[in-house]
Amino acid sequence: MSFRLQTRGIRKSFGGVEVLHGVDLDAPAGSVLALLGENGAGKSTLVKILAGGQPPDAGEILVDGTAYSSLDPVSARGLGITMIFQELTDAPTLTVAENISLGQWPRRRGIVQWGELRRRAARILDELEVELDLDAPVSTLRIGERQVVEIARALSGETRCLILDEPTAALSHQEATQLFTFVRQLRERGVALIYITHRLDEVGLIADRVQILRDGDEVLTGEVAKLDRRELVSAMVGRTVDDLRRPDAPALRLSGPPALRFRHASSGDAFADLDLEVDAGEVVALYGKIGSGTGEVAEAAFGLRPLSGGTMELDGEAVTLSSPTKAIDAGVGLLPADRQRQGAFMVRPVAENLSAPSWPRLARFGQLITGRREAAAYRRWHDELHIRSRDEPGQVFATLSGGNQQKVLLGRWLECRSRVLLLIEPTRGVDVGARQEIYRSVRSLAAGGVAVLVATSDHEEVVQLADRVAVMSRGAILETLEGDDVTSERLAATAGR
Amino acid sequence: MTTDGAASSGASAVAGPVATAGRRRIPETAALMVFLIAEVIFFWIKSPVFFAWDNFLNILTAIAVTGIIAVPGTMLLIAGQFDLSVGSAVAFTGVLMAHYATEGDIRTGIFLAILAGLGIGLINGFFVTVIGVNAIITTLATLAVFRGLAEVVSDGQSVSVTGFDALGTNRPFFDIPVPVIIMGVVALGLWAVMKYTVFGRSMYAIGANPVAARLVGVRSRRAIMVAFVISGLACALGGLILVSQLGSASPLTATGLELSVVTAVILGGASLNGGRGTIQGTLIGLLIIGVLNNGLVLLGVDPFWQDVARGVLLAAAVSFDQLRIRLGAT
Repeated sequence: MSFRLQTRGIRKSFGGVEVLHGVDLDAPAGSVLALLGENGAGKSTLVKILAGGQPPDAGEILVDGTAYSSLDPVSARGLGITMIFQELTDAPTLTVAENISLGQWPRRRGIVQWGELRRRAARILDELEVELDLDAPVSTLRIGERQVVEIARALSGETRCLILDEPTAALSHQEATQLFTFVRQLRERGVALIYITHRLDEVGLIADRVQILRDGDEVLTGEVAKLDRRELVSAMVGRTVDDLRRPDAPALRLSGPPALRFRHASSGDAFADLDLEVDAGEVVALYGKIGSGTGEVAEAAFGLRPLSGGTMELDGEAVTLSSPTKAIDAGVGLLPADRQRQGAFMVRPVAENLSAPSWPRLARFGQLITGRREAAAYRRWHDELHIRSRDEPGQVFATLSGGNQQKVLLGRWLECRSRVLLLIEPTRGVDVGARQEIYRSVRSLAAGGVAVLVATSDHEEVVQLADRVAVMSRGAILETLEGDDVTSERLAATAGR
Repeated sequence: MTTDGAASSGASAVAGPVATAGRRRIPETAALMVFLIAEVIFFWIKSPVFFAWDNFLNILTAIAVTGIIAVPGTMLLIAGQFDLSVGSAVAFTGVLMAHYATEGDIRTGIFLAILAGLGIGLINGFFVTVIGVNAIITTLATLAVFRGLAEVVSDGQSVSVTGFDALGTNRPFFDIPVPVIIMGVVALGLWAVMKYTVFGRSMYAIGANPVAARLVGVRSRRAIMVAFVISGLACALGGLILVSQLGSASPLTATGLELSVVTAVILGGASLNGGRGTIQGTLIGLLIIGVLNNGLVLLGVDPFWQDVARGVLLAAAVSFDQLRIRLGAT
C-alpha cells in the first residue's frame, strides 16, 4: 500500500484577503514532511483544509490519486487523515482509556464495552511503548503525557496520514525527544506525516523533506539533507527583513537604578536564575517560543507568580509583589496574552474597560465615580492611541476590532500612569496596520520615561519594537542582543539552537 | 465515499453562520417597559377597579418584601453570584425577632434579627470568597441550615408578636405603606451604588470577567463579601417587615422566595453569565409580576390557572427581550 496525500493549487481567502495563493503539497507514505513558515504564512490554514476543517476556494486534494474538491472532518477521518492540534483537545475528566477511544467507544446495542475499550487502549500504548495508567483521568497527567494520549487517539483509527501542528510547543526537552521517537515509529509503519514547526533544529532531526510557505506562497521545497540552515532561515524570513525598521535609539538615559530588575530570579519550573534589567525609557524584549518562560517572567513581575529564588527590584528597591493589586500600586501594568479571557470586559463599555485600574484614583473619596470621569479618561487616550471607534465611551467593548481592543487595553495603563509596563504577545491577533500603531504608541510611552518589557514569540515584533532583546529557551536566557545585532536572522538562529 | 460530490456536500456543513457581536442601541429596559405598559392597559380595559391609586398601592405592597431582597440579588447576579438562602434567612431572622420580642423586649429582638442577617451574609461570603465554594452550592447549604434553625428557635410553631405593627402597616405619606417606602429607598440607594461607586463598577467587572478583574486590581473577594452582607441585611429587613405585617412569625415564611427573586432579576434583564443588569430593570421585572398577580385576582381567574399564566408571561417577556437584543444587533 503506497498512500499519498497531495494538494494541487489550493486557494483560500478570508474576508476578501487571499491567504493561500495556489499551494501544491506532496506527502507520501513513510516520510516526514516539515511544513515551515512565519506566523500567518498559511500553514495552519493549509492543514486545516487537509483535515476537513475548512473547504478550499479552489484547487483539489488528492488522496491516493482520487481528487476531492474539499473534505469534511468525518470524510477526512474516513480516508485516514488525522490531525493533532496545537492545543490539547482531550476531555480532561475522562480516563486515559476513554480518551484514546474518544468519539469511537466500542458499543454493543448502545452499551459501552468497557473491556474492549481498555484492551484497545492497552494495545495502542503498547505499540507506542509507553506506560500510562489506563484509569487515570487525563487531567492528572503531565502535558507531555496528555500529548501521548492524543497521539494514541489519533492512532486508534486507521491512520494513514498524521498531521502534527507544533506539537513540541509546550513540551519539555525530554518529552520532545520521546515525541520524535513516536514520529519515527509511525514513519517506519508507513504513515505519511506532516509536521508543522517553528524550530529549525527539529527539522534536521526528524524530517525527510521540507516545504516553506511565506505569505500564502510556496517558496522552497526540497530534501532536508540538501539544504542548510541559512537557506531555510532566509526562505522563511524572506524579503520582509528589509521592510523592518529598527526603532530610534532611546534619548539620553537617566542615571540611577533600573526601573525593573531581576537578580538570580527563579520561579518553579517556569524560569531559573534569571538576570534582567529594564531602564526607564527603554523597551526590552524577552523573545522565545511559547513555553520558553517569557510570559512567565512578565507574570512574576506583576505578582501573579511567586519567585522561588532571587529578587525583584523596582527603582533599586527589592519588592515582593504578592498580588496584581500590589503590583498596580507599585506602578506596574500588565497586558495579558489572551485579550478576551484575561484582559477585557467584553460586555462592558469601552470607557469602563479603559479606566478600570484607575478607578481608585478617578473616584472622589476613593469610591464616588461618575460616568463623565470615565468618559473623560477614555477621550484622553482615544485620539492619542488612534482608537477607531464610534468615539462613544458607552460603546460595548466587544464591538471593536482586535487592534482597537488592544489599544484600549494599552490605554488602561497609560491612564493608570504605570512606570513599568509588561506586554505579553501585544499584537497577537492584531492586523498589520494596527500593529504599527501599537508599536508607535509603545515607543512614545518609552520616550516618556516608561520602562517596557515585551514577552513575545514574534521576532519581527522584536526587531521593530525593542532596544534590547534577551532570547529565552526553556526558562533561561541564552543570549542578549542590542542595537544593530537585533535582526530576524540572528533571532531565528539563536532561538532555534 | 470516493466520489467528488459526496465529499464536497459534507464540507458545506462546516461553514456555519458567523456569530455576530451583540450591539445594543435600544435602551436595556425599553422593551420591558413596553411590556409593562401593555399589561397595565390590558387590565385597565378588562377590570374597572384596576386603574386606581389604592390598587397601585396594593400591587406595590405585595412586591415590597420581594423587592427589598431582589435589589441586592440583582447586584449579586451582576457579579455572577447567587443567594438562594434568602427565603430561609427571612424566616430565621423573623422568628428570632419574634422569639425575643415575646420574652419582653422588642428592641432586643430587632437588634438580634439584624445581627443574624449580618451573620448570614458573612457566612455565605466566607464560604464563597475564602473557601472558594460556588455561590449556588454555598447558599443551597445555608438555605437548609437556616430553615432548620428557624424551626429550632420557634419549635416549629408560629410565634405571635404584639405592638410591632408600625413597620409593616403605617402609611406616613399619600397613604403609602412603610415597606413600599423602604423598597424605594433600598432600590434608589443600590441604584446609586451600582452607578456611581467603584464598588458598583467592581461588581460589573467581576461578573463580566473575573480573571480580568483580578488583573486590573479589583479586590474581588472583599467586594463579593460586602455584596453577600448587604443581601443578608436585606433579608433581616424583609423578615422584620413580614413579622410586623402579619403580627406573627412562622418558620415556614417566605418558602420559595429565592425563586421569586431570581425570576424578577432575570426578567429585569440581568444576565445569568454576569456583567449585565440594572436595578431599575429588576424593579420593572417585579412590577410586571406584581401587576399580573393583581390583575388575575381582580379578573377572578382560577388560582391554578394563575400559575400557568405567570409561567407563560415569564417565557413571553424573556423571549421578547431576546428578540430586542437580536434586533439591536446588526
